[in-house]
Amino acid sequence: MRRIIIRRLVQIIPLIFAVIVMNFVLIHLAPGSLFDVMTSEQQITDPAMLDQLRHTYGVDQPVTVQLAKYIWSVMRLDLGYSYRQNAPVFDVIMQQLPATLILMLAAIGIALLVGVTAGVMASIKVNTIWDNLISLGAVFFFAAPSFWLGIMMTVMFAVKLGWFPVGGMRTIGVDESAIGAVLDVMHHLVLPATALGLFYAATFARVMRASMLEVARLDFVRTARAKGLSGGRVVLAHVMRNAMLPIVTLLGLQLGTMLGGSVVIEAVFSWPGIGSLLFDSVMSRNFPMVLGVLILGSLLVAVCNATVDLLYLRLDPRIKAR
Amino acid sequence: MIMGSTAGPTPILSIENLQVSLFTRRGVLPAVDGLSLTVSAGETLAIVGESGCGKSLTALAIMRLLPNPPAKIVGGAVRFMGRDLAALSEREMQRVRGKDISMIFQDPMTSLNPVVAVGDQLIEAIRRHNEVSRHEARDRAVELLRRVRIPDAERRLNDYPHQMSGGMSQRVMIAMAIACGPKLLIADEPTTALDVTIQAQIIELMKELQSSSDMGLIIITHDLGVVAEVADRVAVMYAGRKVEEAPVEALFERPLHRYTRGLLGATPSAQRRRGSRLVEITGNVPALSDLPQGCAFQNRCPDVFDRCRAERPQLASLLPHRSAACFAAEKELSRDAAAIGA
Amino acid sequence: MIALFIDFARRFARNRAALVGLFLVLVVIGVAIAAPWWFPRNPLRIVGRPEIWPFVSPRYPLGTDSLGRDIAAMTAYGARTTLLIGLCASLTATIIGITVGATAAYVGGWVDELLMRLTELFQTIPNLIFVLTIVSILGQKIEYVTIAVGVVTWTPIARLTRAEFMSLRDREFVQACRAMGMGSLRIMFGEILPNALPPVIVLSSLVIAGAVLFESAVAFLGLGDPNVTSWGQLIGDGRTLIRSSWYICAVPGLAIMLTVLALNLVGDGLNDALNPKLRDR
Repeated sequence: MRRIIIRRLVQIIPLIFAVIVMNFVLIHLAPGSLFDVMTSEQQITDPAMLDQLRHTYGVDQPVTVQLAKYIWSVMRLDLGYSYRQNAPVFDVIMQQLPATLILMLAAIGIALLVGVTAGVMASIKVNTIWDNLISLGAVFFFAAPSFWLGIMMTVMFAVKLGWFPVGGMRTIGVDESAIGAVLDVMHHLVLPATALGLFYAATFARVMRASMLEVARLDFVRTARAKGLSGGRVVLAHVMRNAMLPIVTLLGLQLGTMLGGSVVIEAVFSWPGIGSLLFDSVMSRNFPMVLGVLILGSLLVAVCNATVDLLYLRLDPRIKAR
Repeated sequence: MIMGSTAGPTPILSIENLQVSLFTRRGVLPAVDGLSLTVSAGETLAIVGESGCGKSLTALAIMRLLPNPPAKIVGGAVRFMGRDLAALSEREMQRVRGKDISMIFQDPMTSLNPVVAVGDQLIEAIRRHNEVSRHEARDRAVELLRRVRIPDAERRLNDYPHQMSGGMSQRVMIAMAIACGPKLLIADEPTTALDVTIQAQIIELMKELQSSSDMGLIIITHDLGVVAEVADRVAVMYAGRKVEEAPVEALFERPLHRYTRGLLGATPSAQRRRGSRLVEITGNVPALSDLPQGCAFQNRCPDVFDRCRAERPQLASLLPHRSAACFAAEKELSRDAAAIGA
Repeated sequence: MIALFIDFARRFARNRAALVGLFLVLVVIGVAIAAPWWFPRNPLRIVGRPEIWPFVSPRYPLGTDSLGRDIAAMTAYGARTTLLIGLCASLTATIIGITVGATAAYVGGWVDELLMRLTELFQTIPNLIFVLTIVSILGQKIEYVTIAVGVVTWTPIARLTRAEFMSLRDREFVQACRAMGMGSLRIMFGEILPNALPPVIVLSSLVIAGAVLFESAVAFLGLGDPNVTSWGQLIGDGRTLIRSSWYICAVPGLAIMLTVLALNLVGDGLNDALNPKLRDR
């Protein structure tokens, strides 16, 4: 098992390497020199600092040396310095990362809970009004842009009804007991996580429904019923367990999209994660930060993908045979 | 009484005039049409026929596991130990399945849940009908695996189905079926998907288990070798109906229905060996949607005559303990009787 | 040929939802084409009092925004941007995807390995973050947005094309072509591609829907081309006024949703019509 884990993690390395190279290419595609890109609009006027930067980025050297330097610095987790936050890019991103992780985890949780439940319901009540309603809902949430859904939910539940805060992650100036803080964050989390999660819930519901119907026809389900198991137990212990496998695969494939989606949702709800950071950095043309987010975001997705693969390994014993 | 005769004791299962229909877009098809059968404790009944004749649907109808849609019981009764299973609620039926009546299926490789360890699947069956702790259930599972002759039973509990061969899987299926000491076991082509040598072992195992427990056994098969080896009585089905029923020796000695004769090959007394398959009978089984007037077998029958095309033969006791629905057989027997009388 | 088309149309029409989708798509296309005649003057010009609600003034059926611009006019023009970017991005993605997938499958070996790794790479990079990075580095122009969206959406097409090519590569008719001495490129694009195309077309039509969503997100964040109206941008502009005039966000959002919905339904219908084997799940 440990060997498999290590092997899977090693596969990430060339991937990240490629992301770094691509970053470099992107910078060179940009109008103006690398140096211009890396320092533009950061209001650096001190000539000594400019010199130092020139040296760090190796502007005066050939492209291959620049690439080598760039790769070397990224390998040491040196993603550059952000003058806007006055801190190394890596530190700033790490500081913002937990908020994004919380948002993503909550969204995945909601997507799985809502999507799987709806898919199972639709498959059990196949071709009834319930099935049709769920399918209709899935089609709608599959088409609604998450940011728009977020805004409409804000209008409804924050502005009109006042059930949830309009944005942010914490209420400012409230008592700081641990449980109180957690509840406060959860209260702020409901709307953004739902807005982000519903699209994926719609996907999961469609896939789960099809997958359930597919599995329900298999021989071992008949065996389970022949044992005298109740309908509920057959569905939970036998049909669902197998029908979940495509969902896990799908989840792995969609993590990248989800991290992208969280950028927009964070912008809508002023959620202080790397999405807001990216948005701010793009707006202020803070390129070291933008590229840093791209690299670390890719790394995050790659690691999550590996985790999902390993999870799949646990869920489907047949894979291990390979 | 046109029902096949039963030897001695009261039957544990008696099917009376069972009707199963397939509700398709093309209309309602009579897949099982007026079938009556009985099985007694310790007895083995073989149901024989080509695919599509309704034998598997009969088994599933007894278990109330018909795929619905399209199949549904539309008439008749399935009396098991005095209760009509066809009239039980789903909840009551769940207490019968796996406990009083068990079933094993054709393809053991797909009949076990691929993502659950076989031990857990066994334990699930045990705990469903017995109030025992997980630990006790585990011990029983080990014991069951030993009874079906799985070596290294303790370790095998943690295996997944894909780690087992077809024969092993079928043994697990059998262990699961006998877990709660059923009074009736239905085996739907239990050896068809297995290698010939494994087939023999599985048949041997089922005979052994039956003799030690006095359970009734219904075995559904194509394989006349299996029939010859295990069955006490044989019911032959064609196009949804029972066309002949007889004790096994008598049937092999002298098949009455022309279809049975076709199945057994040209010479009625030919030696049957294990693994010999049904001999191809010329022509095709008529579609259920398109049954001819008269006997369903008429277009393939070598001895067909006018009456077979005009009138549908009913099951009749033509000889002691046996019945057939065949005008040609009736004619032949009356000719024999006349010859003896003369 | 005509018989084939009639057969195709009949199968498509059997899916009621697909017909509704097709109708909606035609409406959106119609609006996009008619916009300049319908609203002959610049849609970004201020026409009246700000924040008039929809269905209040007959002159501005969908109301006016915070600056007093006609929402109906902007939505109509937004359809042009959205459809144009969606179509072009999907076309870009399809061309990249088919090229990568076909080459990988036909050449095989290390080329296949390399291209599949590349596909994996583009699947790993968080796509919207990548789009924003490209747009912010290259500049906020409609061409760059289109290319960026195309660049992040080609991977499923490449995988599908590869799978289709793999299964067709060893068929008799391809071997016959090879025996006749036909060149690789001619076999790939002249013989295999037409046979592999139906499922790819279905996926491309679904990619349009995805591209529309991407474009709207980029425009919503204010990174779209500032010189053209787009639905995402309208939502972004209206966001600050959700307390008083939430309809400014609602109208273009509904437009996006209905368009994407319609495109998805058409995609499903195409799937039914072009891949009859796959239909009965």
